[in-house]
Amino acid sequence: MTESMRPSRRALLSSAVLATVGPAQAQAPARAPVRGGTMVMIVNPEPSTLATYAVSAGNIPPVTTQIYEGLLTYDWEIRPQPMLAKSWTVSEDGKTITFQLQEGVTFHNGQPFTSADVQYSFMEIAKKVNPNGPVILAELQSVDTPDPMTAVFNLANPAPYLMVSLSANNIPIVCKSVFEGTQPLQNPSANRPVGTGPFKFGEWNRGQFIRLDRNERYWKPGLPLLNRIIARFIPDAATRSAALETGEAHYAAYSAVNAADIRRMQANPILGSTTQGYGTTAATSVLEFNMRRPNLAKKEVRQAICYAIDRQFIVDNILHGFGKPATGPLSSVFTTQGFYTDQVRRFDVPDRLEIANRLMDEAGFPRGANGVRMSLFLEINSFGEQWLRQGEYLKQALGQIGINLTLRSEDTATWLRRCYTDYDFDINEPFYSAGADPVVGVHRHYVSSAIRRGTTFVNNKDYRSPDVDRLMDAATREIVPARRAELYHEAQRIMVEDSPGAWLCEVQYVTIFNKKLQNHTNRPLGTYSAFDRAWLER
Amino acid sequence: MGAGLKRFARNRMALLGACVILIVVALTIMAPFLFPAGAFALVGPALQPPSARFWLGTDALGRDVAAGVAEGARTSLLIGMSAAMGAVVLGAVIGGLAGYCRGAVDIVLMRITEFFQTIPAFLLAMLLVVILSPSVLSVIIAITAVSWPGIARLVRGEFVALGGREFILASAGLGASGPRLVFVHLLPNCLSSIIAVGSLLVATAILLETGLAFLGLGDPNVMSWGLQISAGRVSLRAAWWVCTFPGIAILLTVLSINLVGDGLNEALNPRLRER
Repeated sequence: MTESMRPSRRALLSSAVLATVGPAQAQAPARAPVRGGTMVMIVNPEPSTLATYAVSAGNIPPVTTQIYEGLLTYDWEIRPQPMLAKSWTVSEDGKTITFQLQEGVTFHNGQPFTSADVQYSFMEIAKKVNPNGPVILAELQSVDTPDPMTAVFNLANPAPYLMVSLSANNIPIVCKSVFEGTQPLQNPSANRPVGTGPFKFGEWNRGQFIRLDRNERYWKPGLPLLNRIIARFIPDAATRSAALETGEAHYAAYSAVNAADIRRMQANPILGSTTQGYGTTAATSVLEFNMRRPNLAKKEVRQAICYAIDRQFIVDNILHGFGKPATGPLSSVFTTQGFYTDQVRRFDVPDRLEIANRLMDEAGFPRGANGVRMSLFLEINSFGEQWLRQGEYLKQALGQIGINLTLRSEDTATWLRRCYTDYDFDINEPFYSAGADPVVGVHRHYVSSAIRRGTTFVNNKDYRSPDVDRLMDAATREIVPARRAELYHEAQRIMVEDSPGAWLCEVQYVTIFNKKLQNHTNRPLGTYSAFDRAWLER
Repeated sequence: MGAGLKRFARNRMALLGACVILIVVALTIMAPFLFPAGAFALVGPALQPPSARFWLGTDALGRDVAAGVAEGARTSLLIGMSAAMGAVVLGAVIGGLAGYCRGAVDIVLMRITEFFQTIPAFLLAMLLVVILSPSVLSVIIAITAVSWPGIARLVRGEFVALGGREFILASAGLGASGPRLVFVHLLPNCLSSIIAVGSLLVATAILLETGLAFLGLGDPNVMSWGLQISAGRVSLRAAWWVCTFPGIAILLTVLSINLVGDGLNEALNPRLRER
C-alpha cells in the first residue's frame, strides 16, 4: 500500500470549511482581511532562551513558531498538512518516507531552503540535542537528499507517531549554514533565530518584550498580514488581565490569565475566548503511587484511592470549571485519532465510597480506634498554588476512606529528587502533557523500560506490567490506525484496572483574545503555530 | 510586681489589648468544640457569603472561614509564643555571656549578632524554612533564628550597665560566684525590659509566620491566617470575605499584643514610673 498524501484541492477545500465552522471563527465577520498593524501577545513566563531546537519548555514555541517552520502542520483531526514539505509518500512497509519540499523558500538570512537543511535539522540537531529526539526520532537512521527538493527518511522500524510530530514546535527546520561547525547551544542564532517563517526576529528587550517583524520575502503569497508581533512579558497575573481588559494586549494563551479571572474576562464585550488550539498539548493532572511501598503495592488500596476522589469537585472548585474529569492514562484529546476509550473501570460511580471502604477492608486494613486505616504522605507539586489546594482536597477525600494523608511541600529541586531519584514518596501529584501521540507523552510513565532512576517525569511508580509493555511496544510500530487503536484500548483497560496512578482531571486551557484580532486560532496547534493569517481590525 | 500590675491596669489601651488577647486564647481553646470537623473539612458549597450557617462564609473549596480563623488563631499563637520564647532564651544567653564575660567573648558574640542583624529577617526566615522543609517546627526555628539579635543586644547592654554598679561590685567583692551574680543580681534586674521587648516579639513573630504561610512556606497540614489569605487572594474580587476575616484577625491580634507590650514596658520600666 503506497499511501499518497498529496493533498487534493478538495482536501484543502474541506479543511478550509472545517476551519470556518470552528467556534473560534464563528464570530469572525466576512470582512476582508486588513494588512498591517502590530499584534501584542502575552507570553508567560518570559522564555529563558529561544533555542527551541534544544529546549522543550512550553513558553518558547509561542515566539519561535513565528520564526521557524516545520516540515508539516496539522488540521483539526491532527492529519498532516503541507508546510515546508509540500507532499510526501510513505512506503508500504512504513520504513521510508519521501518528502517533496516547497520551492522558492528562503531563510531570513537570504539562504535558500533545501533538503540539506532538512537533513541537518534532523540528523545533527534534532537527533542530538532535542530533548524529545530520542523518542520521536528513535527509528530514524538517515536522511537521504537525492536532489535539493527531496528528502528521504529511512527508518529502522515503522514509526506511526513520527508523522504527527513534525510541526515547528516539535522539530523546527534550521539553516544548515548558520549551525555548521558550531555548538548548537552556543550558536549565536540560539537567541536570534534564523528560520523560514512569516516573521523575522527583531529584538529582545529582556524582561520586557520580544519584537518580531514581517518577513517581506515569505514564501506564502500575500502573507503574513500583520506588520509586527510583540511578545510581552508581564510577571504579575492581575496586570496581565488588566492589559487584556484595556486593549493593551490582544492575545493570551495557556495559563497566562488566572482561572479565577477568566469568567470576568468572558463577560467583557471587547474580549473573546476560545478553548481551541490545544489539540496536541492537552494536560492531565494525575497521582502517582509508589508501588515499592507495601501498602501501595496492593491493588485494592490503589483502586480505593481512585474511588475516593471526586474528580468533578476538583474541576469545579480548583480548576474553576476549566477542565473535565479524566478516566484513564490517555487523554480524551486522543478521541480524534481513535486511541481514547472510556470503556474502562469507572471510578465515578454513585456508591464509590462504599466500594472504596470495602476494598480497604479486603486489602486487610481495618479502621483503627480513631477511624484511621493507614497514614501516607502526599508530595505537593511545587509548580503553583493550585496544587496545594488539590492536596488539601485530597487530604479530606482520602480521610473519608480512613487514609490519613500528610501533605509535604518542598522546593522544586528537593521534590523532584525525592520523587524521581530517591523514590522516597508515597503519592505524588504531577501534571503531564499528553503530546501529539501517546508514544511521545504517555508511554514513558507506564512502560517498565522507563523505570529510570534520576530521570524526571518517567515511570517512578515501579509499575511493571508485561501486558502493558507488550501492548505499548506493539503500538509503537503498528501503522494501521484501527489496529493501533485496539492496542491502546486494551492497554487503557489494563492500566485503569491496575491503577498505578489515579488520573484526575484534563485541564482545559483557555485563550483570551481581543475581538479586533481575527483568524488567530485556525489550527489545533494554536499558539504553537504561526500567526501568518491573523489580522487586526482597524 | 504587684505595683507594676496596678500601673498596667491604669493603661486603658493595654487593658483593651489584654481583653482581645484573652478572647483569641478562648477562641483557640473552644475551636475544637465550635468546629469539630476541623478547618480543612469541606462543609458546604464553595464561596458562600457570610450567613447564619457560615458566620464568615466559605472559601473556594467550601471550607468554613470561621473554622479557619479559629484554628489559625491557635497556629499563630503557638508559633508566635514559641518563637518569641526561643528568641528570648537564645538572645538572653548570648547577650548575657557577652555582657558578663566582656573582652574577646563579647567582641566575637556581638559581631555574630550584628551579622544576623544585617541580613533581612524575612529573607533569612524564608531560606531557613525552604532548607528545613515547611513544618510547624521549622517555622518556629526560622523565626527564632531571625528574632534573637535584638534581645541579645538588649541583655548585653543591661549587663554592661549593671556590671559597674556598686551592689554588683560589692557582691563580687564578698565572693559571690559567677552564676550567683548572673541569676540572682543581674538577670532579675533586667527582667522587666526583657518581658516588655519579648511581648512585642510575639507580635512580629505572628506577622512573620503569616507572611511565610502566605508565600506557601507554612506547614501545609496546619491551618493558618496567612494560608487562608493566600488561598482567598485569587478570588478576592468575587469573594471578599475569604481574605478579609483572617486579615482582621491578624490586625486585631498584632495590635493587641503591641498595646500590651507598650503597657508592660510602661508598667515595668523604672524610668517611666513617674509618668
